[in-house]
Amino acid sequence: MSDTLTYDLNVNGEIETITAPAEETLLTVLRERLHLTGAKRGCDQGVCGTCTVLIDGEPVRGCLTIAALCEGVEITTIEGLATPEALDIVQQSFVDTGGIQCGFCSSGMILTVSSILKSNPEAGEAEIREGISGNICRCTGYEKIIDAAVLAAQQINGAAR
Amino acid sequence: MKIHKPATLQEAAGLLAADDSAQCIAGGATLVAMMNSGVVEPSALISLANISGLNEVTKASDGSVIIGAATKHKTVAAFDSFSGAQNIVGIAAGKIAHPPIRNMGTIGGSVAVGDPAADYPTALLAAEATFEIVGPAGSRSIPADEFFDGFLSTALAEAELVQSIQLPAGPENAVAVYDKIAKIDGDIAIMSVAVVMASSGDRCDYLRVAVGGCGPTPYRVAEAEVKFINGDLDVAIELLVAASDPMSDVRGSADYRRKVLPRVLRRALITAQQMGGGE
Amino acid sequence: MTEVLDTIGQRVTRLEGKDKASGRAQYTDDMTLPGMLYGAITGSPHAHARILSYDISAALEVPGVKAIITGDDYDWFRSGGHVKDETLLAKGKVRYIGEPVAAVAARTQKAAEEAARLIQVEYEELEAVLSIDDAMNPDLPIIHEEFSTYQMKVTDLEVSGNECWATSAEEGDIDAAWAECDAVVEETFETQAQHHLYLEPASALVDVDANGKVTIWGPNQGVHFIQTRVADYLGLPLTKVRAISPTVGGGFGGRAGPHVQPITAALALKTGKPVKITLSRAMDFETCRSRHPSRVRMKIGAKKDGTFVAQEAELLFDGGSFMDETPAVASFGLMMARGPYRIPNFRGSARAFYTNKLRAGSFRGFGNPQTTIARECLIDRLAQALDLSPMAVRQKNAMVAGDKWLGGQEVPACGFAQCLEEVKKAADLDKAQLPPPAPGKKRGFGFSGFAHISSFLASGASVQLREDGTITMNTGGIEIGQGASTILAQICAEALKLPIEDINITEPDTDTTPYNYKSVGSRTTYTTGRAVKAAAEDVADQIIEHAAAMLDCDPAQLTLISGGQVGVKADVTDSPLVNRTITFKEASLRAHYGVGGPIIGTHTFVFDGPPFDREGSKMKAVVFGNMGAYIYGVQGAAVDVDEVTGQVEVVKAWAAADVGRAINPTNIEGQIQGGFAQGMGYALFEEMVWDNGRLVNPTLMEYKVPGVKEVPKVQTIIVEDPEPGGPFGAKGVGEPAMVGVAPAIANAIDDAIGDRPNSLPMTPEKVLDVLDPS
Repeated sequence: MSDTLTYDLNVNGEIETITAPAEETLLTVLRERLHLTGAKRGCDQGVCGTCTVLIDGEPVRGCLTIAALCEGVEITTIEGLATPEALDIVQQSFVDTGGIQCGFCSSGMILTVSSILKSNPEAGEAEIREGISGNICRCTGYEKIIDAAVLAAQQINGAAR
Repeated sequence: MKIHKPATLQEAAGLLAADDSAQCIAGGATLVAMMNSGVVEPSALISLANISGLNEVTKASDGSVIIGAATKHKTVAAFDSFSGAQNIVGIAAGKIAHPPIRNMGTIGGSVAVGDPAADYPTALLAAEATFEIVGPAGSRSIPADEFFDGFLSTALAEAELVQSIQLPAGPENAVAVYDKIAKIDGDIAIMSVAVVMASSGDRCDYLRVAVGGCGPTPYRVAEAEVKFINGDLDVAIELLVAASDPMSDVRGSADYRRKVLPRVLRRALITAQQMGGGE
Repeated sequence: MTEVLDTIGQRVTRLEGKDKASGRAQYTDDMTLPGMLYGAITGSPHAHARILSYDISAALEVPGVKAIITGDDYDWFRSGGHVKDETLLAKGKVRYIGEPVAAVAARTQKAAEEAARLIQVEYEELEAVLSIDDAMNPDLPIIHEEFSTYQMKVTDLEVSGNECWATSAEEGDIDAAWAECDAVVEETFETQAQHHLYLEPASALVDVDANGKVTIWGPNQGVHFIQTRVADYLGLPLTKVRAISPTVGGGFGGRAGPHVQPITAALALKTGKPVKITLSRAMDFETCRSRHPSRVRMKIGAKKDGTFVAQEAELLFDGGSFMDETPAVASFGLMMARGPYRIPNFRGSARAFYTNKLRAGSFRGFGNPQTTIARECLIDRLAQALDLSPMAVRQKNAMVAGDKWLGGQEVPACGFAQCLEEVKKAADLDKAQLPPPAPGKKRGFGFSGFAHISSFLASGASVQLREDGTITMNTGGIEIGQGASTILAQICAEALKLPIEDINITEPDTDTTPYNYKSVGSRTTYTTGRAVKAAAEDVADQIIEHAAAMLDCDPAQLTLISGGQVGVKADVTDSPLVNRTITFKEASLRAHYGVGGPIIGTHTFVFDGPPFDREGSKMKAVVFGNMGAYIYGVQGAAVDVDEVTGQVEVVKAWAAADVGRAINPTNIEGQIQGGFAQGMGYALFEEMVWDNGRLVNPTLMEYKVPGVKEVPKVQTIIVEDPEPGGPFGAKGVGEPAMVGVAPAIANAIDDAIGDRPNSLPMTPEKVLDVLDPS
C-alpha cells in the first residue's frame, strides 16, 4: 500500500496543498487533482512533450516528475500564461501564424518556446529548432511553429526597445 | 511507496540497504519512465536532491574533473572547464535526447542503467573515467571499463550508488570526436564512437577509442589504439570491429551495425586527425 | 478573373485557436462526469487462439470493481463496413495480440487495471498467419472460418482462404499494348505498417441515462459514423446512441472508425454510470489501426518519346485481423494506380488478406501512397531507360481537364500540369542556391506526381439566422486539427457576406447535427463546404424574401451587402429603393416575431458525379459507385545521402497542390507541411514491427516519427484551378499532402546514388545496402 503524502506545490503562483499517493507524477496531480488539464498525457515516457510544464522557468516532463519532490519550486502550466482577457505574446503568435492545428502539442510547445525566449530573447531559427526538438507535433510539420516563435521573439524584442 | 529525502549519501546507502526494492531518484528521466511502463515498481524512492555536492561539476587542482552523480546533463554539457580528453563527456552530454530531458536527467541515473547504446557510457570509457561508489561497506572506486560489466548491468552491488565520476586530466591537447549514429535526432544511438586523440607534432601519440551500441557494453581495444598510434589505421579498425558483438533491435540490425561500424570508425578517426589529433 | 471575395482566400486565424493556445480546449480525457467510473481492457496474449473459458472471480474481488464484461455477455452482433466481421469483444476466438477479450469498470483507474490483469482466459493456441505470404499459404489456418456467413454489401466478391478482398479493373488492350512500347520497366515494392500517431491517445467518455441512451464523447472523424457503429456493436437503435465531438487531438484517418467507444458504452450500460477509458500509448499502438502494409508489382511501358502506352498493377494489401476499411482501401488503391496520367491501356488488381495482426484501416492516403510509390519510382526508371528527364516524362503524360479518370469519369478541372511546372521552377532555382552537401554526402533531387479525390458520399448542413442577425451553423464536419471549422465558417460567412465573427459553430452532435458521412477522404471542404454554401444561400434567399416584403419590391432587385444587410442590386438605378437597406437583424426579427418563422437554411446532397463505367472498365468488387473532385499535386525533395552510414537527410522540399480555390492559405500550407512530415516518416523512419505476432515497438521510445530537426523547409505552392462543383471552386488537400512524399524522396535517393531501396521505410541499412551491396 502506498503512502499518502500531503505537500504544498506552487503552481502558477498559487500554493496548492496536495494529498496524494507518493508515486503520483506531477502530470497526474496537475490533471486529476488540480484539474489543470492543459498539460496532456501523450506517451508517459517523456518522449512526446505534450506534458511539458516549466519548473523554475525550465521545461521539464510532467510525466517523469514525481510531484511530491516538487516542493519549493515554481511550477508554470499553460493555464498560468494568459490573463482571462488576453493570451500572452507567445500564445497569440501561435494562433496568428497557424502554429496550432489539433492543439494537443500546443501547451508543451508554447511553454517550451516561452522558456527559450525568456532565456534568450535573441533566439533565431537554429536555437528555436534546438529548443523544441524534444516536442513532437504530428500536424504542422513544425514550420509554422517556428514562424510563431520567430514572430513572438520579434514582438518581445520590439516591446523591449 | 514511500519517499525518503536523506541529507547524506551514507544515509541514502543505508536506506537502500534496508529495502531491496527501493530506488534512488535524482532527475527521474529514466526511473519514472520505467515506473510508468510498469517495468519497475519501487517500494520507496530515495531522493538525492537534498544531498549537498552531488549536483556539481568541479575542476580539481590536478586538472581532473569531478561530476557529482546528480548533475544534470544540461550542466555537464554547459560546463566550460573541461580540457582535452574530458571534452568528450561534455559533447556526449549535449547529445542526450532533447533539452527538456537534459534539464531533468542526471549522469548517475544514466550510467546506472548500463545501456551500451546510451551516450555517457561510451564517452566515459574514452575519457578513462573512474566511478566513486558508496555502499554499506564504505566507498570504492572503479574504472569505467569495469563499471559497465554487461548488458543493462553495472558493477554496482546491492545498495551501492554512484557518488561521482572523475575524469582524469589526460593529455591537455587531446581532441574529442563523438560520432553518434541515431535513427532521428536525440534518439538512443544505433551506435556511437567516442575518440580522444592527442599528438606531439603531427604524430598521434595518444588514442582512446570507445564503441557503444555494438555489444553488451561499450568497449575499447587497447591493441587497436596502439596499432593506430603506430600508423596502422586499417588494422586498428579491424581489431575494433572484431571485438564487436552487436544485437538486432528496432533501431538497426546486427548486420547493419557490423557493416557500418568500420565506416564510422574510419570517419571518426580521420576527423580527429584532421582536428589536430596528429597525422 | 476570379471574383474578389471578403473571407475566402483570407488567412482567417483558427476559430478554436485561443482555446487550444490557452489550454482550455477540452479533449476527451480532460473531461470528468460526476460519479464517473474508469475502464480498463484485458487484451489477448495470443495472435491466434480459441477462447475456451473465462475466470473473472479474482478480478471481481478487487475493491472498487463495478462491472466486468467478456465475450460471453454479448450476443453475436457484428459490426463493420463492407463486411460485418467484428464483435464488441473477442468471441470464440482471438485474432491478434492485444485484441480486447474483457473489460472492467471500477471506481479508480488503478483498480480497473488491476482487475483487468486478474481476468483469466483459457486459450487453445492456433498457428498464426502473420504476413501476406502466410495468408496465401493454404496449409495455414483460416482466420475467419465463418466468412461466408458474414453480412456483406457487394455481390461480386470472389475470394477464398484468408484472402478477404479481390478487386480489379481493365481498360484498353493491355496484352497487345506491350508490343507498341520501346521501353518497359517492372518492379515490386513493399511498404510497411505506419501508425497515425495522433498525439491524443484513444479515449472515450460515455454517459447513460435512465432510458438506456448512451452519450459518447471521444476523438472521432464523424459523429454519425461512430453512432451507427456503436449501435451495431451493441445491438441498439440509433435513438439510444448519441455521439458528440469534443476537441480532437489529431486524426489522419485514425479516428475514422470506432476505437474504445463501443466497449466504454457497454460498460456504461452495464453499470448505469458514466465510464471513461483512455488507452495508454502502448495499447493505442497495439489495438487501434495502422496503414495497410503492401506489396505492389507494377509494370509501365512507353514509346521512345516518353508517351505512356501501358500499365499493369498488382496490389496486395495486408488487412490484419478484421476487414474494417480494407475493401475501400483496396478499391481506392486500384483506382489511384494510374494516377493523373494518360495511359490508354491499363490492367490492375488489388487483393487483400486477413492476417493475425492489428487491423489496418483508414490512414491519410488510403491505399494511394502504396501505389504511388511504385508508379512514380517506375516513371523515373522509364525516363532513365529512354534517356529523358523524369520531369519531362511526367509533363508529357499529365492529364488535363476533359481527360478521363480510370473508370471512365471525365475530370472537369485539372491543375496537374501547372503543379509540375511550378515545382520544377522552384526546384531549379534552389538547385543553384542550396549550399553544397557536406563532404561524405551525396545530393540528389527527386519528384513525384499524384492525385487523390475530394468527394464521395453524403453531407448535410443547417444554417440558422438568429434574432440579432448572426448565424449559427451546424455541420458534422469534424475539427481534427485540419481547420475544418474555420474553413466551413469562412464558406458560410462568404455566402452571407458576413464577417467571420458573426458565425457561431455548434459542436457536432448526432442529436442535432445534420448527417455527415465523416471528415475523411479529403472531402470536408468540398462536400460539407458545398452543403454549407447551399444552406447559407437558402438563408440568404429567405432574408431577401423578407427584405423584399419589407421594402415592397421584387426580391430579384435585391442582393446581400457586406456586413449583414440587404440592398438593391447595382444595376437597379431608377428605383426609389436605391440606398434603402434592410439589416439581417430586421429581417430576422420579422421572421421570428412577425411573419414566416425563424430563418433556417438546410442543404443535403450525396456526391453527384457520374457513376463509374463498371462494364466498360471491367470493374469488379470496387466498392465505390462514384467518386470525384480529383485533386492533384506534385512534391519534390532534395536529399543528402551519407555515404558512410546510409542515412538520408532531406534538405529542402517543394510541394504544389491544386486546391481548386484556396479558402484559407494558412490552413493549406499547414496541411502540406504537416503532410510532408508525416510522409517523410513513412519514407524514412516509421514502421510497426511485429515479432511472432507481437508488436515490438509500441512506444514512442521505439517508434520514431520526424522531429523538428528532421523536417526541412517545405516550400508550398498553391495552385488554383477552380473545381466546378466545389464551394467557390474549392476542394481538399489533407491526404495528398503525404501521398507523393515517399516517392519524391526515393527518386532523390536514386538521383544521388544511382539506385534506391524498393521497400519502405528506406532505413540507413537499406540505403547502405544499395550504396555498398557487399
